[in-house]
Amino acid sequence: MRKLLGFTLLLVALCLPATSQAAPPKRVVALTPFAANTLAKLGVTPVAIGQTLGGAERFSPKLKKATVLPLSHPNGPNLEQLASLDPDLVFSSQTWAKGNEAMEELGMDVVVQDPRSIAGAYADTFEIGTIMGRKHYARDLLQQMRKQVEAAAEGIEKRPKVMLILGVGRTPFTFLPNSWGGDIVTKAGGKLLTGGVSSGSGFERISDEVVVAENPDIIIAVPHANEDDIPSLTEYLRSNPAWSSTNASKNGRVYISVDNSLLQAGTDIARTIRKVRGAYLKN
Amino acid sequence: MASGEGQSRRWGSLRRTHGPMGVAGGPPEASPPPALLDARDVEVEIAGVPILRGADLGVEAGELVAIVGPNGAGKSTLVRAVSGMQKPSGGSVFWSGRALGEMRGRELARLRAFVPQRMPVPNGVSVREAVTIGRSSHLKPLRRLTGEDRDGVEHAMERARVTRFADRDLTTLSGGELQRVQIAIGLAQEAPVLIADEPTSQLDLGATIGVAGLLRDLAGSGLAVLLVVHDLALAAAVADTVVVVSEGRTVATGPAAKVLTSERLTEVWKAEAHLTEHDGRTALHVAWLKGDDVRSP
Amino acid sequence: MARRALVFAALVAALLAAVVCSLAFGAVKVPISEVIDIVFGKGGSATDVQIVETLRLPRTVEAMLVGAALGVAGAILQGALGNPLASPDVIGVTGGAGFGAILIIIVLPGSIALLPLTALAFGLLAATMVFAFAWSGRNRGSVGKVVLAGIAVLSLFTAGTTGLLAAFPERAPSAIFFIAGGLTSSGWRDLETVWPYFAAGFFVALFLIRPLDRLALGDDVAASLGSRPQVIRLGAGIAAALLAAASAAIAGLLGFLGLVVPHVVRMAGGTSSHTYVVPASAIGGAALLAGADTLARTLRAPIEMPVGPFMVVLGVPLFLWLLRKAV
Repeated sequence: MRKLLGFTLLLVALCLPATSQAAPPKRVVALTPFAANTLAKLGVTPVAIGQTLGGAERFSPKLKKATVLPLSHPNGPNLEQLASLDPDLVFSSQTWAKGNEAMEELGMDVVVQDPRSIAGAYADTFEIGTIMGRKHYARDLLQQMRKQVEAAAEGIEKRPKVMLILGVGRTPFTFLPNSWGGDIVTKAGGKLLTGGVSSGSGFERISDEVVVAENPDIIIAVPHANEDDIPSLTEYLRSNPAWSSTNASKNGRVYISVDNSLLQAGTDIARTIRKVRGAYLKN
Repeated sequence: MASGEGQSRRWGSLRRTHGPMGVAGGPPEASPPPALLDARDVEVEIAGVPILRGADLGVEAGELVAIVGPNGAGKSTLVRAVSGMQKPSGGSVFWSGRALGEMRGRELARLRAFVPQRMPVPNGVSVREAVTIGRSSHLKPLRRLTGEDRDGVEHAMERARVTRFADRDLTTLSGGELQRVQIAIGLAQEAPVLIADEPTSQLDLGATIGVAGLLRDLAGSGLAVLLVVHDLALAAAVADTVVVVSEGRTVATGPAAKVLTSERLTEVWKAEAHLTEHDGRTALHVAWLKGDDVRSP
Repeated sequence: MARRALVFAALVAALLAAVVCSLAFGAVKVPISEVIDIVFGKGGSATDVQIVETLRLPRTVEAMLVGAALGVAGAILQGALGNPLASPDVIGVTGGAGFGAILIIIVLPGSIALLPLTALAFGLLAATMVFAFAWSGRNRGSVGKVVLAGIAVLSLFTAGTTGLLAAFPERAPSAIFFIAGGLTSSGWRDLETVWPYFAAGFFVALFLIRPLDRLALGDDVAASLGSRPQVIRLGAGIAAALLAAASAAIAGLLGFLGLVVPHVVRMAGGTSSHTYVVPASAIGGAALLAGADTLARTLRAPIEMPVGPFMVVLGVPLFLWLLRKAV
């Protein structure tokens, strides 16, 4: 009788369902550098990371050994290659919307994150931590990040007017405050030139007449180009007759940024802010 | 159209070309002017296939030459070749003494006018405008029309008898009216020779009579006319000279009565027929249903 | 005749109105009196002078030139090929120019300053390929061969462009702006590079007006009058290629204008005579593009919208109305 009771208890104990907290996903793929680097910082090694063809993403040195999945339009990764890795969860971006649909149909869980502000980056970092069952690691990481960012944004002496543009030539798009780059520059102490426009996408083609009227002190362009293109691109923008009357053009404060740090959310926010302040805003 | 009449017409034209003093044999040093058209042994190959194998053609002022022959014999090719529309592969062609190959477009345009069978009819162009385009061979590029040019246009329209619908759109004209406008365009070039490639083949009887009569009167006023025509009775009625083209060669040249004999009709057209003329009217009597024994070689 | 003169006068009036609006209106309000002062050299505030002289004036001139160039290119191609559907796209220029521009934007972004010349060079290359194929072999220079060669070359360059976009997907958005077509306010810089090609194109087109009228009466009548039909067609192709390539070099790929404007002026004037249609297409095209561009940059100011839809909105209702009235 006692043997039977003991046996039954053991059986019940073994069969008790797992607690309400689901086990964190084991095999994770990160298709954005933000997700990949955040995972690395949280001590998680993703099964694979994504890198766009011809892209210039910056990855944490901890991810050196990770499998790299080339990403291209419109699906992002090659779906067969992805499926062969048998991931439980994929951190993806809105850019690969078509691929995301297909991944879900293949039975993978997809989390889409495209943080467009520093606050958004904090929130998404916490979300990743929660999903991966590393909430308290995430809390610590966030505390560290916040401290670094506030330190980087300390002691701003000047708040110059900045026009931040995407692309070069043929009426480029202007970064608005609700874009990643716009938020970074604002945090770094710049006053974004917006012409009073707001847009859901965070970018707009703004008339050169408004640029002339608002007279930016600094122009920063984010083109799709390589390091060695910087001198010729800078010269091209500096000599644009449309902007010749602006302070930026007259004082030669025209800069080119070719890495992705202003285009795409990253985890080294403080470093980016410091670079913007030191190299461009000089405040 | 007895040969005598034709002869006198030719003499008359010679008188004109020699000027008021001259009969044939004026001042000893005066050599006869070059023929308006002198084409000999013309050969044409199209895509490697010989179409013309040696044809002769000539015309004088005031003469109407009818070029006849079965389909595919090379009538159109002959007039197109001598007109510079198709490059000959052999033979010689001289217009008023100038070799065809040596002349530039504008020079040739002063020496001959080519009227195709059917021209495309553009929208929104009036008769007067179309004839004015014909005048453009006289204009230097970008030079404006002068009063003289406008007079030339009106004159061409009068001669072609199209003045009364000068302001009408080309698209509103009947077949016969359009053909006369095409002739007017050719006349605007003020060349001594007019070549008409089957102008009556698609016209009804009345329109044919109108165009044929016009061409005859133009010849009568001194124009040299080359007329490619299918209808043998028509050719006999209006032509001073008939040229028969068969299988790429000119096989006969001369007055209709001499050239369009029953034997020739059998030989070239494989038809049992003969031509009659009475009182200025011509007719072709054809054994339409006789067929086999005539056609067998 | 009177109808033509009336339509021509109306087109000139439309052009003047478009030019005035283009100079007077923009994202920034500049009082008309000041615009007039600046235009006549009396000066104004530094910002306003910069806006009118460096931004609006060159842009207006570019709009007129490109509009006129595309209108003329369409008119002479339709005349030379005897085909109402002919337009500068048919001779492959737009495909080539698009490829050349994308090549710079995507593969050689550092050479951005060379974009107009590269687009122009590839546009002319494409046209040369079309002529070379169309003038070889049998039926040299026939309309059918030109159209088919144009389609083939266009497909070739479009494939090249698509390939580049697929190979560098990150950089694709920059390229879209060029493909959409439109003017930019970059002063006289681009015009200084390409004006000789506009000049050459217009020059050749001028000398083609009478020959095209002759060609309208058929190849035979044209030959009788001393013209060579194939030479006229080749000349028209060259002029159209120069005008379309120069236009693409500074304004990207703008369709619609070269095809529709000649038809509109033909239907309005009731004639196909090239002495009227070619100049009228120039004026009409200039007016349309200048007007559409003004709308594109003022309607949602300070946002600049693409000019294509505005050309269509202005041009299509007129086109359809005339089409209904045409016999």
